[in-house]
Amino acid sequence: MTSDAPLSFNQAVRGISEFIEVAIHNILYVRQVYPADVFIRRKKYNLPVFQSRHPGLNDYISGAVKAVSDELAVGNVDKVIMVIKNKEEVPLERYIFAIQNMIQVEHFNKETSVEEAMTASTLGHYFRSFLVKLSMIESELGQYPLPDDLSFAIILELKDDKAPTVPQGKDPPPWVPASTQHTTAGASEGAELHMLRAVDTGIISLSLAVQESEQKLELEKQKNSKGKQKAT
Amino acid sequence: MAPPRTLAPSGSASSDYFGDDDPEFLQALYETVLPGDVMLDSSKQDTSDVEVPEMPPCAQPSLKRLRSPDLDDLEDLVPSASYHKILSSVDENKESAGYLESDVYGAAHFGDFGEYMARKRAKLQIQNAELEDADMVSDSKSKIFQGLQIYINGYTEPSVQDLRQLIMKHGGIYHAYLVKKSLVTHIITCSLTPNKIREFKHMKVVRPEWLVESAKSGVLLPWKDFIYKANERLEHPQGKRAPQKSLYDTFSSQRAANPQTSTAETAPDSSPRVGLVQLDTTETPVAGPSHVTPPSTPTKSQSTPRPLHITDPGTPSQAERVPDYAFHKSNPIAERAMADPAWRAAHTSVAPDFIEGFYRNSRLHHLSTWKAELKGLVTEALERAENGTNLGRVPGGEDGEDEAVGKIVEENMGGRAWKDEGVDVSMKDAQLVMRSPSRKGKERAFDDDEERIIMHCDFDSFFVSAGLVDRPHLRGKPVVVCHSQGNQGGQASTSEIASASYEAREYGIKSGMSLQQARKLCPTVLTMPYEFQRYKTFSLQFYTILMAHADELQAVSVDEALIEVTTSVRRIKSEMARSQGYTSAPLGDPAKNFAEAIRAQVKRATGCEVSIGIAHNIMLARAASRKAKPAGSYHVTPDTAREFLAPLDIDDLHGFGYATRQKAFEKLRATNLGELAKKSRAVLCDALGKGTGETLYKAVRGIDERKIESDKQRKSVSCDINYGIRFENNQQAETFIYQLAQEVSRRLKTIDMLGRSLTIKILVRDPSAPVEAPKFMGHGLCEAFAKQAQLVAPGGHATSGDKVIGEHAWRLLKSFNFDPKELRGIGIQIQKLEKASGEGEGGPGQAVLPFRPADVAKAITEDENKNDSTPKSSQVTKAKLSEAEVTLQEASVTKALSPSLVHSDLPRFSQVDKSVFDALPDDIRAELEAEYKRRSVPPEVINAIPPVTVTVKEEKKTNFPGHPAKKVTFKEPAPPNLARITRQLAPRSKSPLPGKQSALFCKTRFVTRSNVTESELRRLGLDPVVFAGLPPDLQREQLAGARFKKTGKLGVTFPSQPKRLRPIVRPSKPRTRPRYIPPPPPKAQYPEVPVLKQQGKTKGEKLLFTEKDDLQNVIEQWMNGFLDHPPNQRDVDYFAKFLVQCVDGGRGSDFGFEKAVAVVKWWLVLIKRHFSAWEYYQYEPELKPRKRYTNEAIGRAWWKAFREVKAKMDAVARKRFGGYISLR
Repeated sequence: MTSDAPLSFNQAVRGISEFIEVAIHNILYVRQVYPADVFIRRKKYNLPVFQSRHPGLNDYISGAVKAVSDELAVGNVDKVIMVIKNKEEVPLERYIFAIQNMIQVEHFNKETSVEEAMTASTLGHYFRSFLVKLSMIESELGQYPLPDDLSFAIILELKDDKAPTVPQGKDPPPWVPASTQHTTAGASEGAELHMLRAVDTGIISLSLAVQESEQKLELEKQKNSKGKQKAT
Repeated sequence: MAPPRTLAPSGSASSDYFGDDDPEFLQALYETVLPGDVMLDSSKQDTSDVEVPEMPPCAQPSLKRLRSPDLDDLEDLVPSASYHKILSSVDENKESAGYLESDVYGAAHFGDFGEYMARKRAKLQIQNAELEDADMVSDSKSKIFQGLQIYINGYTEPSVQDLRQLIMKHGGIYHAYLVKKSLVTHIITCSLTPNKIREFKHMKVVRPEWLVESAKSGVLLPWKDFIYKANERLEHPQGKRAPQKSLYDTFSSQRAANPQTSTAETAPDSSPRVGLVQLDTTETPVAGPSHVTPPSTPTKSQSTPRPLHITDPGTPSQAERVPDYAFHKSNPIAERAMADPAWRAAHTSVAPDFIEGFYRNSRLHHLSTWKAELKGLVTEALERAENGTNLGRVPGGEDGEDEAVGKIVEENMGGRAWKDEGVDVSMKDAQLVMRSPSRKGKERAFDDDEERIIMHCDFDSFFVSAGLVDRPHLRGKPVVVCHSQGNQGGQASTSEIASASYEAREYGIKSGMSLQQARKLCPTVLTMPYEFQRYKTFSLQFYTILMAHADELQAVSVDEALIEVTTSVRRIKSEMARSQGYTSAPLGDPAKNFAEAIRAQVKRATGCEVSIGIAHNIMLARAASRKAKPAGSYHVTPDTAREFLAPLDIDDLHGFGYATRQKAFEKLRATNLGELAKKSRAVLCDALGKGTGETLYKAVRGIDERKIESDKQRKSVSCDINYGIRFENNQQAETFIYQLAQEVSRRLKTIDMLGRSLTIKILVRDPSAPVEAPKFMGHGLCEAFAKQAQLVAPGGHATSGDKVIGEHAWRLLKSFNFDPKELRGIGIQIQKLEKASGEGEGGPGQAVLPFRPADVAKAITEDENKNDSTPKSSQVTKAKLSEAEVTLQEASVTKALSPSLVHSDLPRFSQVDKSVFDALPDDIRAELEAEYKRRSVPPEVINAIPPVTVTVKEEKKTNFPGHPAKKVTFKEPAPPNLARITRQLAPRSKSPLPGKQSALFCKTRFVTRSNVTESELRRLGLDPVVFAGLPPDLQREQLAGARFKKTGKLGVTFPSQPKRLRPIVRPSKPRTRPRYIPPPPPKAQYPEVPVLKQQGKTKGEKLLFTEKDDLQNVIEQWMNGFLDHPPNQRDVDYFAKFLVQCVDGGRGSDFGFEKAVAVVKWWLVLIKRHFSAWEYYQYEPELKPRKRYTNEAIGRAWWKAFREVKAKMDAVARKRFGGYISLR
């Protein structure tokens, strides 16, 4: 990334989708969705990050993020959500990448630097802070580890009355309807939201929040009471 | 030489009026000179009364270089008059060094450099005079350099000082400075810079040896022998220097192909020449192991250059081959003759009738131009052949065979006895005309080469035998034909022998030799003059006979022809078979008998012998005719071809010359055809080049695929004169060129051709060659140059006009910048011939823009107008009155008029350069416009509607779309006119494309801004390409007019008008624009940051808080302020509103969310710090606030406020994310 010039629209899209991909890997590591030895340590945004080595997993993530970035470029995305769920498809934690397109850019201007926008290097610093917060998410979410049989899903929430664009090729569209309980609309009232970090690039605003589902909180309470009971 | 008189009004011109040596003038000078007088005054007194006062010394140096007249004069006078005056004063020693007091030796004025230089020059001249004087005292003065004014440039090989002394000593004038080129007669130098060479181009630049040698010999030698020449040619644009290729190459090969057989050639060739000087010494025996001398020609030494018999070789290599030719030797007779100007004027190219005379006497010319006349001659021959006049009949032979031949011959001659004469006469012509083509058709029937019979008929030493016809007493003696007669020219005659009798040939005399050489070989040789008229007569008879017998005839030259006689021979065969009653094999050779019959016929008609070679192709026939000579015939059949060819040499074959032979010898060590037959095709091609090798490979196998061509298309017409070219100046050369051009033009006109390209061929005397060539008036050794240029007559057509040719040729010659004295040969050749086909000067092509003086043009146009209108005025008016009834009569009138329009030389309007047109004076332009308007009307309507069409034009030009007058104009029925106008108005940048060519582009480029299809345009008679090139408003106008024409209804004319308007509206939409004007780059947008406003301490001051830390501080202050009171609901609401704003992503962003969470968290911390006890008492808010607030009440209130705010935030957050905000 060139650091001095303000971001162009495409750069912003690329930067954000790149960050989403890095973040997903890191969440998987931090939340121990997969065993720690699946991941290797790498350096991104001048920060040690973790990346999965599993090709199938990597393909899935990169494919999903690619699809996300396509939608990002169109400007229809409202949220990208990574749901960590148990084997009953019950969402436990939802990592919400909330996105807001601040400006519309004509097709011929996608590569032009946007006046007064954030520079790439600044954005990099922001992402670093995102990831730092993410790695310390445990402090907010509680020490109790999630159950063993975890899996995750990536969910795309578009702005109202928008549908994912149909790709031109003969490939089937990458998106399938999500189960309601994984979506924002399906989030129970008891879910707890932790706003981690937000950034305004001037082109696209991005924030990362974690939402613990009611079910998880319930589980934790049960565990807590059990523990207390055991302790007593 | 003369200084311009007008520039020197005072006494300066005196030197011109009086010669240097005019004693009277000198005397007068002596008398008037007073010692110490200003010398100029004296001279002035003689010639003018204008007294030029001596310039007073300037108080200030004049800025301008002031050249007083006396100084100017001084310079001029010094060499002549005053110079002598000073001289005399020195001479007489009246007052020693009295001249020193003269003005010249005075102080020069400050700043007047010109004066200084002039005086310096004058002083130098005086010094020279002293020098001279010193010499004069010692010995009697030599006057050989008298009149020479010499300037020395650069380093010279006696030094400048020595040369100066030399010049002075011998009466010349030396100039130290080259101030006026006109003063100096010669420039002496040993080396010049290229720039100087250019500068002195027109001056006499001589080497110092000239002076030295002249002084030594005591005579002024001709300076031309000492001309300074730069070491190398500096100006390459003079054209490529080509090795000279002269006509003589071809002539010699032709001559070599002449009568003698190979055996006859060698015997006399070697014997008489043994004692001769030249090349025989170089005849070294070649004894290489690889060298195989063919057994059949043992006498030929193949390595030596074959003697070449020409009198005037042009290149050193040629000259080497000519025996007895000393090319460094100047022709003494010629030198003597040339010294006489009268002779010179009468006999060289300077002579006015030189060209005429040259061609009258040139044998080569007769031979070469003859072909141009062939057509006429052949038709004449045809007629004669039909009539059978003047021709003897072959008496019938004894045996049947001869009878058959005779019969066919007779039949061919047209003497068919059984035909009724009367009928015959009328039939003849038709039959004659038909004969050739019909035979051609027949000829196709026997494609088989074996059956074709081709004869090569060639007179035996034509000129001689023709001459012998009425000189029977010379028969049997060595006779040659040449220009020189009797003892004229004597022993040294360089006259070229055109033809030699067989008796003369025995002495080794060959055609092409000079008479001088021939005399050496045979002192008793007799000469005969040319008799061109007789040759022509004989030739005509010869052709008449051949014509009668031939299916196909190719004229090679006057005395030589190729004929195809297949049909006749076949008829003879069948006749023979019939007469002999179908018995046995044919006796003898019918073809040979037929040839003998022809021979006899020619002999009877002309009294000359003809030799005929017979074969089945041209090459063999030619070879056979050699064998047949003299006076015989020879038939080479396909079977005998190879044996026949085997002993021959390469250059015995027609088309292979000396060069090929040399090459073959060098590369293949063989020149004998028998040897060469063994070589593979590849080897031959390798050695001789692809084309020649291929041809030779076939030739040695007796294969020749050439066809007899009776009517060869001329490729070029040329006129070369390399004899007697001796010019003295460019004037003469120019005159000559124009004369030559006339000759070329005449030739072009006789064959009815026009040329497009012109080549000028120049021979220039080789520097090493003597001024007078060894051959009398010949060209001698030369360098050849050629230059080609397009020949363009005005208007861009091909031409045959002598003026144009002359102009072009002269321009080319001038561009060479040759010294006219050095020219030795000039030739003009016209190529790219086109049939003139009766096309007049006004044919198609670019018209000429005549730049005539205005009034002349006016007069002419007026004349034209008068011519056009006056005689037919009645009809014109009638036509104007009722344009509908254009009668047939009127049409014919306009037609009659139209040629005059076409012929007038104005270019079409589209061809006129607009800028030039605009720059013309108003009146002329108006006139031209008027003329064009008049012309823009097609001939059919020219008289009918002139005023209307004018308005049409006017509108086109001024671009008034939608002018109401337009509707009127299109009422006129003038469809072709419209098309023409569109064409004329097409943008000038685009070349007027012919529709067919641009058809490809049409499709893509046909983007008219008007809404019309291409096909519709075509239907309307408009050229779509041109239409597309028009500006949109004109397009619309044209279209409207054309449509209106078509439909005749105005309403229907514009059916698509609203549609057409649309494209005009469209551009206002921004979508079509962005390509060209890049919009401003997108600008970043940041969400509005919610601001917490607070009143400052002073009234009106507003504190704005946006940052997290500030907000936290505000909260803390607020908390601290209300620790004893429950918070005001207003404050809480206000605060809640702010936080909700922050959380609401719709207005702010999540950045605000984050901030709000942080603030609320801090608030929670604060509350917990102060009221942690009451945290879980949330279900007791219903307790009524009291007057005295307990800690509990306050705590509960705070908690309540907090929960209220939190709930509001959660409600917003839930909308976005679901759940509630965690504050953990």
